[in-house]
Amino acid sequence: MAGTELAILKGITLEIKSGESVAIIGASGSGKSTLLGLLAGLDEATGGSVDIDGTDLGALDEDERARFRGQHIGFVFQSFQLLPALTALENVMLPLELQGQNKVQEQAQHYLERVGLASRVGHYPLQLSGGEQQRVALARAFASKPAILFADEPTGNLDTATGEHIIDLLFELNREEGTTLVLVTHDQVLADRCQRRLRLDGGALVQE
Amino acid sequence: MTATKMLARDWRGGELGVLVMALVLAVGVVSGISAFTTRLQNALEQESHRFLAADLVVTSGRELPAQWLQSAADEGLQSALTLQFPSMVYVGEDAMSLASVKAVTAAYPLRGEITYSTEPFGPVLAAERGPAQGQVWLDSRLFALLDVTVGDEVTIGDANFVVAAAARTEPDQAASFYGYGPRVLMHYADIPATGVVQPGSRVEYRQLYAGDAAVLAAFRQWLEPQLRDGQRAVTVDEGQPRIGSALDRAERFLLLAGSLAVVLAGVAVALAARRFSERHHDYVAIIKSLGATSATVNRLYGTSLLLLGGIATLLGCLLGWGIQALFFYLFADQLPVQPGPSGPRPYAIGAVTSLTCLLCFAWPPLRRLGLASPLRVLRRDLPMESRRAVNDYILGLVAVTLLMWWYSQDWQLTLAVLAGLGVTVALGFFLALTLLRGGRLVGMSAGSIWRLALAGLQRRGRTNALQVVIFAMAIMMLLVLLLVRTSLIDEWQAQLPSDAPNHFMINIGPEDLQDIEQLMRAEDITSEPFYPMIRGRIMSVAGEELRSGDDVQEGRRQREINFTWSDTLPNDNRLLAGEWWVPGTDEALVSLEEEFAERMGIEVGDSVGFLVGSQPLEARVASIRSLQWQSMRPNFYLVFPPRVLADYPATFMTSFHLDAADKGFLNQFIRRFPTVTVIEMDIVVEQIRTIINQVSAAINLVLVVILAAGGLVLVAGVQASVDARVHESAILRALGAPRRLILGGLLIEFATLGLFAGLLATLAAELSVFILQTLVMDMQYTPTPWLWPIGVCSGAVVIGSLGVFSCRRVVSTPPVRVLREL
Repeated sequence: MAGTELAILKGITLEIKSGESVAIIGASGSGKSTLLGLLAGLDEATGGSVDIDGTDLGALDEDERARFRGQHIGFVFQSFQLLPALTALENVMLPLELQGQNKVQEQAQHYLERVGLASRVGHYPLQLSGGEQQRVALARAFASKPAILFADEPTGNLDTATGEHIIDLLFELNREEGTTLVLVTHDQVLADRCQRRLRLDGGALVQE
Repeated sequence: MTATKMLARDWRGGELGVLVMALVLAVGVVSGISAFTTRLQNALEQESHRFLAADLVVTSGRELPAQWLQSAADEGLQSALTLQFPSMVYVGEDAMSLASVKAVTAAYPLRGEITYSTEPFGPVLAAERGPAQGQVWLDSRLFALLDVTVGDEVTIGDANFVVAAAARTEPDQAASFYGYGPRVLMHYADIPATGVVQPGSRVEYRQLYAGDAAVLAAFRQWLEPQLRDGQRAVTVDEGQPRIGSALDRAERFLLLAGSLAVVLAGVAVALAARRFSERHHDYVAIIKSLGATSATVNRLYGTSLLLLGGIATLLGCLLGWGIQALFFYLFADQLPVQPGPSGPRPYAIGAVTSLTCLLCFAWPPLRRLGLASPLRVLRRDLPMESRRAVNDYILGLVAVTLLMWWYSQDWQLTLAVLAGLGVTVALGFFLALTLLRGGRLVGMSAGSIWRLALAGLQRRGRTNALQVVIFAMAIMMLLVLLLVRTSLIDEWQAQLPSDAPNHFMINIGPEDLQDIEQLMRAEDITSEPFYPMIRGRIMSVAGEELRSGDDVQEGRRQREINFTWSDTLPNDNRLLAGEWWVPGTDEALVSLEEEFAERMGIEVGDSVGFLVGSQPLEARVASIRSLQWQSMRPNFYLVFPPRVLADYPATFMTSFHLDAADKGFLNQFIRRFPTVTVIEMDIVVEQIRTIINQVSAAINLVLVVILAAGGLVLVAGVQASVDARVHESAILRALGAPRRLILGGLLIEFATLGLFAGLLATLAAELSVFILQTLVMDMQYTPTPWLWPIGVCSGAVVIGSLGVFSCRRVVSTPPVRVLREL
């Protein structure tokens, strides 16, 4: 930012255990997304450190963080972030291919079936409804068997019923795969389904 | 994920279309134009060789070594011999006439064809070779002068010949036509029998050579060091300066056009790649969030680009081949010459252009994709990586310069275009920013459409300035091409208007002058003024006696020359130095033609000594003139005041235009004035006009292709900013803005950009054309005020409509869909 320095997050100390599900809640502009970006290694902190399973993310450069993300982290975004030029199946295959895995198609197929999209594997994102797109995103996130899954307002772009369905699916898969879940939302109902809730207020953390 | 898969997926997604299209067009246009011009040049060169009747000619006043012919034959070259000399032709004791005899071997002509007719002035027929041994062909006029018909016998020297036909034209007859009189064609082998060619006779020997260009060039290199005084090797450029200079200018024009195509293609590729890269920013952010490193991203896009480049180059070469084939197909009627082969060079140029475009224009923005922040998956408002954009432009400029230079092999031309581009870019940013700011102030007090549009212009000030510069570049290049083309063709047409004189009349005795003038008026034939002609010899310059002798070919030597007198500066002549004399002066003055004065080393104020008949004449050089040799009007190296030459015997000459249908007039004329010599230049004039028409047609064609390339740049330039504008418009639309407001705003925005671009382009075009015409094309520069309204208005109209057209979906599609797609 030009001119004055702006502190977005202030003195946050936070520990999340393996297999735990944590919700970060707070109003718009409270710094939720910034915290998520730092935790997931998408961004560099100007101070402090992020340690995941013994790896200090601050000590890695962007390429090393990218490799780390590919191996350990999965994402579900509010705006789905599917690649429009790829089919549902290809979108799910993408992270596996980036890791250089074999037999990626079968794995991708398996997860798409798991989210109930077996019949839509050849469709492009624009041909799918919002709920279906988010289900593809779920399949993509779990297919690479991440240790931690970060979800950023996963129901933010969906109607209530579809959103609930997605959340059911998310928690089901999370249980099955034993993934650590960090969920950012301003939806109290969704937050209540997590084991632990953290509230961000003006960049500071308040335990609920 | 392999690059091929990504390419295939991207292709399906439609993202690659613009980039591929730009590359294919770049390669296609460059290789197409290059192949077209190469083939056309080959063809035109072949055609122009007709004017020499060969590819290379060696001339001399003495017999040329026969072993040269042998060497040429050993190299696989064809050869022929001609010998030209003045001689009397007799019919018994009754009639005789001085004629210009030309003896030719059976192989003559090597290029072009001789024409004849079976009766004087009859229908013209083409002949494979000249007269057989023992036969002659006579100029149509000689039939009347000698009162003979086909089948009669005539005598030249000691030998008799049967008149077999009327000689009409030879391909190389324009080479030297002054002096001798009507033509007699005979066989080379008959010369000894006539006994008229003796040592010291005034004759011209010619060896004609033709064959493969490379072999011929080598042969010429071998031959030239062996040439002695009085022997000269001539190719088409030197033999026919008129055709030579037309071809040279046409070639430069086509090279200029090709170079501009390279620049335009580069800009189009750069714009397309930039847009491609901007649209791929989110894509890269997503795959990076999923674990792709920047190396992976670079490898992906690098490989994709290479694959893409390969495919586009192949397609482009195919397109280029198609373009030139289409041209030749469409204009086969206008091009009676057989186009020569183009060879692989045009396609190599296309491939190198493609590679350069990829490396210097497409790769830099794509390389920056690797630096894109994965955080964009969470925050789309993050700025894109564009810090090094300025370096990209410098890289692009260097690439374009080298490419243009390599393509045109002409740094003057390259620099002229670069100067125009430089002015456009430098002035462009400054002016565009200033004008756009000024526009905002005006807009503040205007209605809401204007406020909206001008606010938009100002908000994206830098981007818009860049856009103005790009538009201006494209428009400038098109204007430059249009200007140069127009002045080139105008100049050619002006040189040879359809009623240009095509016959010369010389040796008119003073006693016949009035009758001939009357006859011409009665027959409604317009002629140039009748100029007196006096033959004399130049003897000394500034007191220094000149050497004599035919062997001294170059520089200062005594020589026979024709003078005229005039009280006024002849039409078309331009005074370069000194002053024209006061009419009626009896001072001994003389005015010299520029090149003649230079060759003889004579300056204004020098005194020059002449011998006219047997009388000496000393005159001071009063002025130096340039004149238009192309004009087909009587032209003279030396002009004197009338009173100075009043006492010397003179004949008169003129030139006039005669339509093919009126050629019968000549028969009647020659019977009445047998001593007057008429030189028919109509076929030659027609040949020159044909070539010039062909070149003009080619130039127009190339202009059309470049227009298409320029159009592509404009489209790519408009496309580059469409996303942002459509996005904003969709928001306005969502807020309830009516269609009229949105389209009106867009129209004003783009039209304003186009207006500025047009203004800038016109300014830069004038500068470029000034440099091009004065330095490169060797033409006169004249300012072109008519260009300004055209440049400015077309900029506004074309870019305004392109912009609105490209953004039209914003009013036809629900705003939500537009916003979601972006």
